[in-house]
Amino acid sequence: MPSRRQLAVAMGYVAASAVYVAIGVLFTDFLFSFFVGLAYLLLVAWLVPAGVRRIF
Amino acid sequence: MPLAIGSWAPDLMTKWFVYGIAIGGVKLKASNPAQFHRGWPGVGFTHSLLFGAVLAFLVWRIFDSKIWAISFLIGQWAHALTDTGDTVGTMLFFPWTVHIHFNAWAYAGQTGRLHDAAAYFSGLGCVWDAVWIVYGLFSWRVLTRSYFERHIYTADRSWTVANRVVSVGALLVVYRAAFFYGTSRWIAWSLWAHVVHHYPYDLSWGGPHWIDAAHSPPLTWPQVAGVVGIVALGLAIALMERGRRRRTRKEREIGFPCECGCREVVKLTTAEYRTVGGAWLDGHEPGDDRAPSGA
Repeated sequence: MPSRRQLAVAMGYVAASAVYVAIGVLFTDFLFSFFVGLAYLLLVAWLVPAGVRRIF
Repeated sequence: MPLAIGSWAPDLMTKWFVYGIAIGGVKLKASNPAQFHRGWPGVGFTHSLLFGAVLAFLVWRIFDSKIWAISFLIGQWAHALTDTGDTVGTMLFFPWTVHIHFNAWAYAGQTGRLHDAAAYFSGLGCVWDAVWIVYGLFSWRVLTRSYFERHIYTADRSWTVANRVVSVGALLVVYRAAFFYGTSRWIAWSLWAHVVHHYPYDLSWGGPHWIDAAHSPPLTWPQVAGVVGIVALGLAIALMERGRRRRTRKEREIGFPCECGCREVVKLTTAEYRTVGGAWLDGHEPGDDRAPSGA
């Protein structure tokens, strides 16, 4: 079974996926490119958390 | 990454012309999208096993990386084999131009990208994708940080090179991106097609039948015999190669630690090791006067 920390990380990705899906359903162009998906994921799963950690 | 790039390789440079694109008011689109995409004349050879093997060979020579080449090959072959599931299929054994197709779901590339997506996510293609998503979820351990650091990062030196510029955290996100993208777009397209636009599901063989699908002609019996022959030949070569490698491995000398405990290495083949019943340096056998103390 996954640990609590692993579940917390997974929940973060699920939340990121929910936002990605919502944008994609409204603007389907968002869904066509893997690189758009990659850039989005780097932004929400790495850059933003890293920025928040640096500020606080 | 090479596996993901390999899986996109067949469509990477061609899909825009299948769906059509407008540049400065000029519409560019193949007159027969299915023929252009999968056929010959056309760029259908990009969906063949040979094309994958040639590109993988180039990847191996250019980047001097076997793991990149094999990963690329697996990705490209997975794409070419998966596309045999639709009604047009692929010229898997190009330069033989016969299309291998199982007719499980409709090919609708000629209807434009949105209709194509709606059709794909309404038929068995959508179920096929779901199988891989569920398999990925069952294999969740491969997405963990510890698995990435222990197995992925160490197996491919390009991660080390990238790590000079960005942190491991960012590389981990890149590693997880393919699964994230595949799963998220599956959910998004399904919602778009069935909740927003109410396209009906049709999970029957060859569906959805509400789309005007393109078809390849069915294989004749001699063509079926040819395909079976090629597959049988491929399997026979693979099995013979496997047997040859096993024999070579048995004949190759391996370093065994001397069983007397002296920490010296004895070079033997596995067959010799089994015959003798252990590995001892000359004079270190049990009962030999010359054996070091403690033996």
